[in-house]
Amino acid sequence: MSDTQWPRYEVFKQDNPQKPHEAVGSVHAPDAELALQNGRDVFVRRPSAVSLWVVKASNIFTMTREELEATPDFWPKVSKAAGTPTTFHLFTKTSQRRSMTFVRHAGQIEAVTPELALRDAIENGRFDADNVWVWWVVADEFIHRSQADDIDSLFAPAVDKTYRQQSHYGFVSPRRQKHGREKLDADERR
Amino acid sequence: MIEQTLEVDDKLAEFEARIARGEKIEPGDWMPDEYRRQLIRMISQHAHSEVVGMLPEGAWIPHAPSLRRKMVLMAKVQDEAGHGQYLYHAAETLGATREELLDALHTGKAKYASIFNYPTLTWADVAWIGWLVDGAAIKNQTMLAQASYGPYSRAMVRICAEETFHYKQGKEMIVHYASSGTPEQKAMVQDGLNRWWPPTLMMFGPHDSESTNSEILMRWGIKTKSNDELRQEFINEEVPEIQALGLEIPDPDLHFDEDSGSWIIGPIDWDEFWQVVRGNGPMNAERLAARQEAHENGRWVREAMAALYYKFVTDNYSKVSKAIGLSPERN
Amino acid sequence: MNQAIQQILTQKLLALADDELILAHRNSEWIGHAPILEEDIALANIAQDELGHANLWFELHQTLTGDDPDELAFFREAAQFRNVQFVELPRGDWAFTMLRQYLFDAYELLLLDQLQYGRYQPLAQACAKVRNEEIYHLRHTSSWIKRLGLGTEESNRRTQAALDELWPYAQQLFVPLPGESILVDEKIVPNLGRLHESWLERVRPFLTAAHLTIPSNQTPPTNNRSNHTHHLTTLLADMQKVARLNREAVW
Repeated sequence: MSDTQWPRYEVFKQDNPQKPHEAVGSVHAPDAELALQNGRDVFVRRPSAVSLWVVKASNIFTMTREELEATPDFWPKVSKAAGTPTTFHLFTKTSQRRSMTFVRHAGQIEAVTPELALRDAIENGRFDADNVWVWWVVADEFIHRSQADDIDSLFAPAVDKTYRQQSHYGFVSPRRQKHGREKLDADERR
Repeated sequence: MIEQTLEVDDKLAEFEARIARGEKIEPGDWMPDEYRRQLIRMISQHAHSEVVGMLPEGAWIPHAPSLRRKMVLMAKVQDEAGHGQYLYHAAETLGATREELLDALHTGKAKYASIFNYPTLTWADVAWIGWLVDGAAIKNQTMLAQASYGPYSRAMVRICAEETFHYKQGKEMIVHYASSGTPEQKAMVQDGLNRWWPPTLMMFGPHDSESTNSEILMRWGIKTKSNDELRQEFINEEVPEIQALGLEIPDPDLHFDEDSGSWIIGPIDWDEFWQVVRGNGPMNAERLAARQEAHENGRWVREAMAALYYKFVTDNYSKVSKAIGLSPERN
Repeated sequence: MNQAIQQILTQKLLALADDELILAHRNSEWIGHAPILEEDIALANIAQDELGHANLWFELHQTLTGDDPDELAFFREAAQFRNVQFVELPRGDWAFTMLRQYLFDAYELLLLDQLQYGRYQPLAQACAKVRNEEIYHLRHTSSWIKRLGLGTEESNRRTQAALDELWPYAQQLFVPLPGESILVDEKIVPNLGRLHESWLERVRPFLTAAHLTIPSNQTPPTNNRSNHTHHLTTLLADMQKVARLNREAVW
C-alpha cells in the first residue's frame, strides 16, 4: 500500500442555526468520520460553529460561471441522462465583495444527476442564477454531518479557550504607555 | 496556431479585465499557466513556511515557564499547523497534490521562509518570533488577503485574524520582560532583538530592483504592494514601539528622516540572506531533517489508514464499515 | 469540611492535576512531528484540553491550600509529584500515544460521570466543562485505536505492543490514595474499585473488537503515586528549566 496524504474532504461550517452551511476549506482524512473530527479541530479552534458537514472532494460537482460560459455544448450532453431522482444540495457563491465569501448552502433539488440538478437550479429561478459565480452540487447521501447532540462536545469547548483570541491580550502599546495618549495623538496629527 | 494564440489573447484580456473589476478568480475559471504556476510556487512556499515554522517555537513548548505560557504556545504552534493546512488546501485547488508538495519540501526542492533557519536560543526568542516575525508576516498576509485568487485570499483572511493573537502574545511578553522583568529577562530580550531584527527585515524579500517575480504578481493582483513598501511600513510601525521599551535596535545607521516621515535603516546583509536561501543557514539541515523524520515516522500510520480505506471500498466493504461504524457511501 | 476530609481532598486534587499535566506535556511533544498535519492540530487540541483540566484541578487545590499552581508545576521535585507512572512514560510511537490517551480518556470520562454528582460542589461543577472535552477525546482516540487495530499487520502489531506495555501501568489509575475511602464515604469521589470494573467492561470488548489481545498481566509496577520512573526526572528537567532561571521572575 503506497504512502499518501489520504483523501481530501471539503468542510462546510454553519456558524449559527439561522445561517447556511458555508465551505471553509478542506481536510485530509482516512474516512468521513475522521474528516468530521479533523474538520472540527482545524476549523473550530475558535468559537463559531453549531454544525459541520464533510464531503469527499471527489463527490462534489463544481461549475463556475466562467466555465459555463466557456462550455456552450455542456447542456445538450446533460439532458441524455435517465434514472431514479435523488436529493442534491446546491451551494452557491453569490458575492464578489467580501474576501471570505465562498459557496453557501442555497437549497436542494431532486434530480437524476448533478448536471441535471444544476440545469434545473439555473432554469427554475429559485437560486438567483444570474448572480451566482460558483456552483457546487452534492448528493445528500455523500454528506457526513455532525449531530445536534454533538454541539456540547464538538463546538462548545472552543468558547472557553479565550487565550486563543487576540482580545485576551489587552495591553497598551509601549509608546502609548511611555508618552501618554496626548503626545501620541499630537504626533499622529503632525 | 495563430487562431489559438488569438484565443489565448482574448482569454487573457478577459482574465485581466476580471481582476481589474475586483472579481476573484475561482478554481475552475480560466487562468494563464503562468498565474497558476506563480500561485502554486508562492502558496506552497508559504505553506511550507508555516509547517517548518512550527519547529523553532515548538522546541520551546516543553520549556514554557508557566502553565499559561505553555497553553498559549501550544495554541500558537497549533495555529501554524492550521495555517499550513489552509494554505496547502489553496494550492490543492490549483491542481497540486499535498503528496507532491510535501515531496518537494522533503527532498529540499521547495523553499520556505529563511527566518526559520535561525535557531531559537532562549525563551525570549519565542516572544520575538511573535512580535517581529509574525508582525512582519501580518504585513505581507494583510496584503495577500486582497489577492485575486479566491482560495488564497480566503486562507489569508482566516490566517490574519489568527496571527493577530500570535503577534500580541509575543509583544505582551517582551513588554513585560523589558519593562518590569528581572535583569536576566531584560538581558534575554535585548539579546533576542540583536539576533532577530536583521533576519526579520530580510523576510520581506529582496529590494524591488532585485525582485524577479514582483512585476507579474502585481499585474495579476496577487500582490498589491512591493517588498520595499511593506518593509518600510513595518519599520515605521515597530521601531518607535521597540525604542519606547528602552531597547536598542542593532543598526548604527538607523535614523528618522523628517522629510519622508520614515525610519531609515542601514544596509541589509544580502549575502547572508542568499546564503540561508541556498541552504547554508545555521539550521537549514536540522529543520529539513526534523520534517523528514516526522514524515518517515508517520509513514506506517498513513499506510495503515490508507489500507483500511482500501478495505472500505473493496471486498470487506460492509464488514469493515460495520466495525468502524460508518456508512460506506460517504467515503 | 473537617480537616481530615480536606487533607485527603487536597491530595486527591493534586493527583488529578498531576496526571493531566504530565500527560499534556507528553502529548505536546508531538506538535510539529505528527504523522499528518491534521493530527498535529488534533493532538495539540487534546494537549491543551488536558493542560486546562490540570489547571482547573490546581485551582481547586489552591482554594483549599493557597498554593500557587505555577509554583506546584515548576518548583516541585519529581518525588513530590503525585501522577501515575502511566502518564510519565515517553510518548513512544503514534500507537503508544493514541492507546495511552484512549485508556486515559475512557477512565477520565467514567470518573467525570460520577464526580459531577459528587457532594463537593466546586469539584462537581468543574466536571461539566471537562466532561464535554473528554467526550470528544474519547471519540477521537477510539476512532484511532479501532483503525490502527484493523489497519495493517504493522499497525496492529505496534498497537498490540503498546497495549502489552501500557496495560499494567493503566491499572495504576484505579489505585486509591491512602485514606481516599473517607472521600468515598462522604460521596465526594467515586469508589475506584467499581470504576475499574466499569472501565474494564468498556475497554475490554472495544479492544477485542479492534483485533487486540488483552494482556494477562494486570499487576501495576507500583501502587504508590510517590514512586516514579527516571522518565519523570528527565521530563521535569525540560519542563522546569526556564521557570527555574530565577524564582522571582514573572513570565
